[in-house]
Amino acid sequence: MILPIAPARESWHVSRGYLGRHRGVLALAAAAFAVVGLAQLGGPWLMGRTVDAVLDDAAPATITRYAVGIAVAGLLVGLATWVAESLLARAVQPALAALREDVVDRALHLDHGVVEDAGVGDVVSRVGDDVRAIGRSLDLVVPTVVGSAIAVLFTVAGLVALDWRLGLAGLVAGPAYWLSLRWYLPRSGPYYQRERVAQGARAEALVTGLQGAATLRAYGLQDRQVGRIREASWAAVQITLDVFGLLMRFGARNNRAELVGLLAVLGTGFLLVRSDAATVGEVTAAALFFHRLFNPIGALIFLFDEVQSAGASLTRLVGVVLVPRAVEPADTDLEPGPLTVRGLTHSYVAEHPVVREVDLTVAPGERVALVGASGAGKTTLGAVAAGVLDPTRGEVRVAGTPLADLGRTRLRRCVAMVSQEVHDFSATLRDAVLLADPGADDARVRAALETVLAWGWVVALPDGLDTVVGEHGHALTPTQSQQVALARVALLDPWFVVLDEATAEAGSSGARELETAALAVTEGRGALVIAHRLSQAAVADRVLVMDDGRIVEQGTHDELVAAGGRYADLWSAWSG
Amino acid sequence: MPETGWGVVRRALRRNRRRLSPYVALLVSWQVCEALVPVVIGLTIDHGVATGDGSVFLAWAAGLCVLFAVLSYSYRFGARFGVRAIEGEVHELRSEVAAHALDARGLRTDRLSGETLSLATSDAEEVGYALRMVGYAAGSLVAVGIAAVVLLRTDLLLGLVILCGLPLCLAVTQVATPRIGRRSRVQQERTATSAGLAVDLVRGLRVLQGIGGQSAGAARYRVASGEARDAAVHVAGARAALAGLAQVLSGLFLAVVTLLAGRLALEGEISVGELIAIVGLTQFLAEPIAILADMSAQLASAVASGRRIVDFLAAPHLPAGAADPAGATAHGVTVSLAGVAHGSLRGLDLHSPPGELLGVAVADPADAQALVRLLAGDAHPDDVVGDVRLGGTPLGDLDVGARRGTLVVVPHRVDLFEGTLRSNVDPWGRLDDEALARVLVASAADEVLALRPGGLDEPVSASATTYSGGQRQRVAVARALAADAPVLVLHDPTTAVDPVTEQRVAAGIHDLRGPNAGALTTWLVTCSPTLLARTDRVVLVREGRVVLEGTHHDLLAHETYRATVLR
Repeated sequence: MILPIAPARESWHVSRGYLGRHRGVLALAAAAFAVVGLAQLGGPWLMGRTVDAVLDDAAPATITRYAVGIAVAGLLVGLATWVAESLLARAVQPALAALREDVVDRALHLDHGVVEDAGVGDVVSRVGDDVRAIGRSLDLVVPTVVGSAIAVLFTVAGLVALDWRLGLAGLVAGPAYWLSLRWYLPRSGPYYQRERVAQGARAEALVTGLQGAATLRAYGLQDRQVGRIREASWAAVQITLDVFGLLMRFGARNNRAELVGLLAVLGTGFLLVRSDAATVGEVTAAALFFHRLFNPIGALIFLFDEVQSAGASLTRLVGVVLVPRAVEPADTDLEPGPLTVRGLTHSYVAEHPVVREVDLTVAPGERVALVGASGAGKTTLGAVAAGVLDPTRGEVRVAGTPLADLGRTRLRRCVAMVSQEVHDFSATLRDAVLLADPGADDARVRAALETVLAWGWVVALPDGLDTVVGEHGHALTPTQSQQVALARVALLDPWFVVLDEATAEAGSSGARELETAALAVTEGRGALVIAHRLSQAAVADRVLVMDDGRIVEQGTHDELVAAGGRYADLWSAWSG
Repeated sequence: MPETGWGVVRRALRRNRRRLSPYVALLVSWQVCEALVPVVIGLTIDHGVATGDGSVFLAWAAGLCVLFAVLSYSYRFGARFGVRAIEGEVHELRSEVAAHALDARGLRTDRLSGETLSLATSDAEEVGYALRMVGYAAGSLVAVGIAAVVLLRTDLLLGLVILCGLPLCLAVTQVATPRIGRRSRVQQERTATSAGLAVDLVRGLRVLQGIGGQSAGAARYRVASGEARDAAVHVAGARAALAGLAQVLSGLFLAVVTLLAGRLALEGEISVGELIAIVGLTQFLAEPIAILADMSAQLASAVASGRRIVDFLAAPHLPAGAADPAGATAHGVTVSLAGVAHGSLRGLDLHSPPGELLGVAVADPADAQALVRLLAGDAHPDDVVGDVRLGGTPLGDLDVGARRGTLVVVPHRVDLFEGTLRSNVDPWGRLDDEALARVLVASAADEVLALRPGGLDEPVSASATTYSGGQRQRVAVARALAADAPVLVLHDPTTAVDPVTEQRVAAGIHDLRGPNAGALTTWLVTCSPTLLARTDRVVLVREGRVVLEGTHHDLLAHETYRATVLR
């Protein structure tokens, strides 16, 4: 399931808002394009005057004057072109940048499951391929609308002034153009939508290949992935070629419309001249005027195609922007209180709940361990308790307030979560920690890293806090990566923290170090610690055992070991 | 393989010439037809309208129809050849970038996935656009040529002005192209950076959301996107200046021709009719000049992007040899490391006979990482001291395919791929149901299957999000076992599974890769006592070297070993 796509009408409405912020610059650019269009008429007009001057046997100085006039008109066209195109970029690029930034912002705020389902490729192709497509269209649309409109206006005025009957004959082309548009637009629209989706799939194939490169190489599967990327790329190309074929048939229909109009003008001229109702000169002028309309009208007609292509991309960008944003409530003070989960049931696939009717309370400062077989629903319960996942049914409150009413910022001051997935953000180590609280100074970053026992290795790095980590940066060991994740929690300093296997990824040897770090991070706050490493359960105030989505045992470590149930089995396997 | 940005463009022209030739020919034909339309209109009026002869008029009207048909078909099919060439070229460039990035030997690059994506899309398209301009530029040149010939026949001086003036105009516009190239490169770089950041943030979404870092992440993207925006405005400024310059030059050109022709006509050197023809033709020249200038601008951008692609394709792979592992026979493969220093490893000696199930207990995670990187062939030979041999042949001398066929090193990080559970466990499709069942049981992945209505045909999405960490790990172990490699190295394969399941997996690995499995060699790089307990022999690595060896049971007598593996 890809991310939402907005209806066309709404997309235009929203994008007008983005461009509207630059309407001053845009208006100036349009005015400059109008100057271009008008000044461009100057050259041909002065050349006509030159011919007249020669016929009238005027003085050579007249010719020189006209030539200078042509040069000046050229200068004006050049200057206005430079100003117009520069200004256009100053309106279009900021509008597009704001749009893509909002798309990323919204995508990051979406439920992670929705984004993961859609794939990284869907998101990045929207802010990449789609933004590029719109940019190209806008660069074309604005000058064409202004320039062609001026050309059409002046030429039609000239044609009608010459002879209204010939002008009327030219109008025959109108319905032909209209039929052509009516044939084309409904056919091409769906292609553009499909093309953009295919580009998303192409990005997805490439990015998943790159991210999984180590595994692909380990099994010698890399060539197969390259094959998949080629397939996805070719699928997108095929759609592009199909829609282009359609566009060319559309172009042929427009040529037909031109021909119909031209023949009508000539035919009418023929009849008028034969009945002495018009001169040959008038018919010549009218036919040439009409011919001069071909280019601007053609450009205007093709704009419908550009608009449709850009529109397909706009609907994809606006679709993400329009996802409703959670309301940030007023930042009132909350008294610390317990984290409670009531009647929680969650299913990823309908009718297959992974968590069933769970109730859970974590008191402030209490350390609760959650253990059980993998697949028992621990991660889901943790994610819901931390407000990272909206449950199918049930409610989570902190200090009596439902998580949903807290707003994002306050929610994270109350509950944070360290997920099972480790991700080293591609950034300096300082920035990687600062993600939790961008306003913090180095002293606080250092304190956070000291809390998780990481400061020692951080200062030993070549550039200390400025060391770039992440993909292709300095490679952190899994232990170090998780220490950074825990440092973020220390910096954020929430009341409650959910640690989902925060010590597992490190492998067993690093895990003990991480356990100490995790213990330090949970110190003084309520904690729900999901752990396969039962040493963490042993030091918890309370242990919950989950099985098949339910909490089946709870008590202290000693009580549960003595009870001889599931926990006792796990413990004996663990301490084996 | 091209070595410069120009080289990429030249190769694009060369390898697409089968489509570009008809593209150019048909576009020229189209341009000539376009130029003929006013001429035929004039003839129709002269011979048909002015004479009032109906049949002649109809004949000329029919001629106009034929001209339009040729014009229309020329453009339609010409442009289709062109677009096919452009899209094909972009597709090939994209494939080359992908194939290079995913080469079996591994790549030394500092580019983020998103940046590579940007190369494969945005930059590749810039090169494609240069091809599109070729057709229009060729058409324009032909138009200019025709005009020059007509004028030369009318007046030598005027003809020469056109023939010399146009190249002069083009030469002057070249002043602006280096700036476009430079700015375009900066723009592409920044676009790639922001794409890299976007991919990185989305990949880390779960982590980000856990600490409420979405807005901080988005703010970072805004900065990168803002820089890309400024660079785009900058490029547009340079291109606008070039477009403006072209307009000024063509205005001057027009002025000079008008002045000369007007004076000549006044002096009676040329007739008024000739003057009108000259004026008409020169007017027609403004467009070719603009198109040729535009072509220069597009070429500058294409060369800049071509350069970026070339730089990426020139990033070296890790070196690999061509040898087959000579010692690899049905009797298995010996793996040996002698005096190996790499990363934090300091003189590691490790020798494993065929058929051994060896536990490598590593106290420092950095040592484990270095060992796995080394075995996976991801370490550059310059960074490795000592001798690593597979079946007696140095690892570095082995052909990549032969190495992978003999030694499979499974990274700790689990990557599942879009498809089904079956396609993830057995991507080669070579196991029968019985063999498949065996690896599923051994990895305890059968329990994962049992929870899914679709069983083995249950779909797996690209990020495998509906599977828990422990489930993903078990599928990965199943895949490792399914690979059935003579030598298999597993790095901490069971960190996300519960202790009871871990016992099952340990037993499963023992069943499929232990003493009963013949010559298959398996190394478990882990500190999990559950796994180590099922190995034939354990070595303890501390401070980069082997300090103890023996069975798990015997080693438990040593305090240092207990400190490493006991929890």
